[in-house]
Amino acid sequence: MAVKTGRGFAAIEYPTGMNQNGDPSQAWIKVKPDGRIDVFAGTSDIGNGSKTIQSQIVAETIGVPYEWITYDNSNTDSSPVCTGTFASRATFVAGKAVEKAAENVRQKILEIAGKELEIDPSDLEIIDGEVIAKGAPQKKISVPDVAAAATWGYGELITGTGAQLKPYATIVEPETGKVDLPPHSAISYASCAAEVEVDDETGTVTVTRLWQCYDVGKAINPTLVEGQIEGGAVQGLGLGILENCYPYYPSVEHRGGQFGAYLVPGMVDLPQIDTLIIENPSSDGPYGAKGIGEMANNAQPPAIATAVFDAVGVWVTELPITPERVLRALQEKAAGGGAPKRDGKTVIFDSNLSVNTVGTGIAFGAAA
Amino acid sequence: MKAVGARVPRYDGIAHATGRTVFVDDVRIPGTLWVKAFRSPVHNAMMTNLDTSKAEAMKGVHVITSESVPLLEYGHLSALGIPADEPLLAKDEVRYLGQPIAVVAAPSEEAAMAAVAAITADFEEQPALFDVRKAFDADAPVIHDKGNWYTHFEDEMDRRQIRKGNIEEAFDRADLIVQGVYRPAAIEHAPIETQVCQVVPEANGRLTIYSCTQALYFSMGVVAAHLQLPLNKLKVVGGTVGGGFGGKVDTATETMCALLAQKSGKPVKWRWTREEEFLCSSTRAPWHMEVADAVTKDGWILGRKMLTLHDAGAYSRFSPYGLTKHSFHHTGAYSIPNLEFNGYVVYTNRTPTTAMRGFGVTSVSFATETHMSRIALELGIDPFELRLKNANRIGDTSPNQIPYTDPSTVPTILAIADAVGHDLTPEYAGMTPAPRSGDLLPEHLVGQLGNPEAH
Repeated sequence: MAVKTGRGFAAIEYPTGMNQNGDPSQAWIKVKPDGRIDVFAGTSDIGNGSKTIQSQIVAETIGVPYEWITYDNSNTDSSPVCTGTFASRATFVAGKAVEKAAENVRQKILEIAGKELEIDPSDLEIIDGEVIAKGAPQKKISVPDVAAAATWGYGELITGTGAQLKPYATIVEPETGKVDLPPHSAISYASCAAEVEVDDETGTVTVTRLWQCYDVGKAINPTLVEGQIEGGAVQGLGLGILENCYPYYPSVEHRGGQFGAYLVPGMVDLPQIDTLIIENPSSDGPYGAKGIGEMANNAQPPAIATAVFDAVGVWVTELPITPERVLRALQEKAAGGGAPKRDGKTVIFDSNLSVNTVGTGIAFGAAA
Repeated sequence: MKAVGARVPRYDGIAHATGRTVFVDDVRIPGTLWVKAFRSPVHNAMMTNLDTSKAEAMKGVHVITSESVPLLEYGHLSALGIPADEPLLAKDEVRYLGQPIAVVAAPSEEAAMAAVAAITADFEEQPALFDVRKAFDADAPVIHDKGNWYTHFEDEMDRRQIRKGNIEEAFDRADLIVQGVYRPAAIEHAPIETQVCQVVPEANGRLTIYSCTQALYFSMGVVAAHLQLPLNKLKVVGGTVGGGFGGKVDTATETMCALLAQKSGKPVKWRWTREEEFLCSSTRAPWHMEVADAVTKDGWILGRKMLTLHDAGAYSRFSPYGLTKHSFHHTGAYSIPNLEFNGYVVYTNRTPTTAMRGFGVTSVSFATETHMSRIALELGIDPFELRLKNANRIGDTSPNQIPYTDPSTVPTILAIADAVGHDLTPEYAGMTPAPRSGDLLPEHLVGQLGNPEAH
């Protein structure tokens, strides 16, 4: 009896925005008389950091400090439509809507600054809250002064709206799944390697290390995207070795009705996580960003399952990989069972789990 | 200072960390009534003699049932043409343990619990179905009027299909066929903030709905549809969620609270207990997936057959969407030119399942990547090189025949190989996602190429 180590690897992809699209987000922005910026968007922040990300996008696009942004997603009276915070769309889709709104505000600020400076707006740029003549930086006016001029001088409200909607992709051939338009926006990619220790006496799997690489398009906020990736890794670890609503699935008996009876990963379960970020910009996300929020828990379970096989030589393909499942597989193997069925060029794993064994109304097979 | 790319602090970080963020449960409205539900005590039954009269006779208690709802059935995806199949409150039958049947509002939590205890109904239990693999059996209990699986994909097909290339030829030509079964579990979203909602009937006739929804406008649309109200009668207040992970797209409490606020004329609040959150809220779906890959001895994947049974639980909710997304991504990060995918949304008498982080794809990533590892071992090929060889590249086409424009499969794999110190041969170590040519464009991949410029 021993603790054995193993490694496994997985590579995945995940689309950004709702599958088949058709999911709008909208935003509007107004400028206060002192140049501070109020952003109204309907994107719920579920902990993913969208208030921060969208504020950064607005600050960058207009050309003012992040601290000048007030972000309001608090209600449906003041905020326009956002389809919602899911489908990895809060940065990619809703972030694009605020970018468009901010660009319209920027143009309005340049117009009024142009009147004040008597310079064509196309010859002006906004840097750090100041509107500056390109190539003649001594000619400038601050955004607060522009906002004051708009309010008290020109009688105008500086405002801008933006909306993002990619048209719905229709399945034109239900037989084949062929679609008329791309059903996905920027696809994100990730790879993950897992290292585990498996105690072949107790069946306990411990994930000791995870190496992860994500193509995020553009890290709008590296701290937050690292948080998404590491938080997702922990959720993926839960999927892989701990969590299960129905411990005797498909039976519904013995569901855990409290945290004491349903195991989510705790700090004690955390492995060392090494996170690598690649920035291969998307063509249609804000500043090239993609959405990686959801895929962040997808790569660990297969990497862990493979690492367990590498450690002790048994495949557990029903999740989670609990000590009971590991021990049962080891026992079966010790008794000479558990090997795949081999027939000519066909290798069939897990036939005990298959519809071919358990059901009578549906079949699946390599030769079917 | 550049704002994009900067590690600026979280907009709401200090408020979260010091407990000053106002979540729905922190909203305090004087005179609020507490809400509790009378739920199904069984998994599958015909229900008769629902009697709420004793509860309604209690002081200050208000009760709603299926008869109180202007539009009883409104599907989560009605807007996408996916028919509604779930009543807001159970009417004549219950299909899962914990399904809400009647909901009460009362002056205190204790009074609400007493009112629920006073509600009665008769349940004639029916055989329940829990195993998706047995849903198709001739002797399986039929748990929905229209059968045990969803039948409304395009052209009223009863399954989601993907077909590409010539699958039989791929399997004939294969040196090896590897087949396996993959079954990830149902997962609870386990947010710290349980489902919670406060609805205030305003003097001007509007309803203010304090909601923990992940989707303000989506949930407003759901409430408006059930109540048959224009959107100007509703104001959803939220946007700050104490953990969602997909489970708070469900609009689990808002509609019922809105109805009780209308009926009582008083503010109402429903905060699910931790036990309700675990046992009655929707979960990530359990999936049953079978994969058979036709491969060559030098590691090309010629074709994939796949059968997916998506355990939706008792009602459709977002499952048809999730299965479709699943099917569109069942080749993972690779180019597999010949495909035969069949997927079913199968009903069982368990809590309805819903979206959760990675919806539809978490399952298929587990299945197909574990399967790739098995193939590598069967062939005796380096698992990184097997993946790099088949990795999707610019101009390869997706299962829906859409060209990939800029895939990063190759760079992310190379980055991890480097990080773990895994040596690759120069041929693989120098690989890029550039369009296929030479040894990387074998005859079986020629016909699947598309023009990425077209998109």
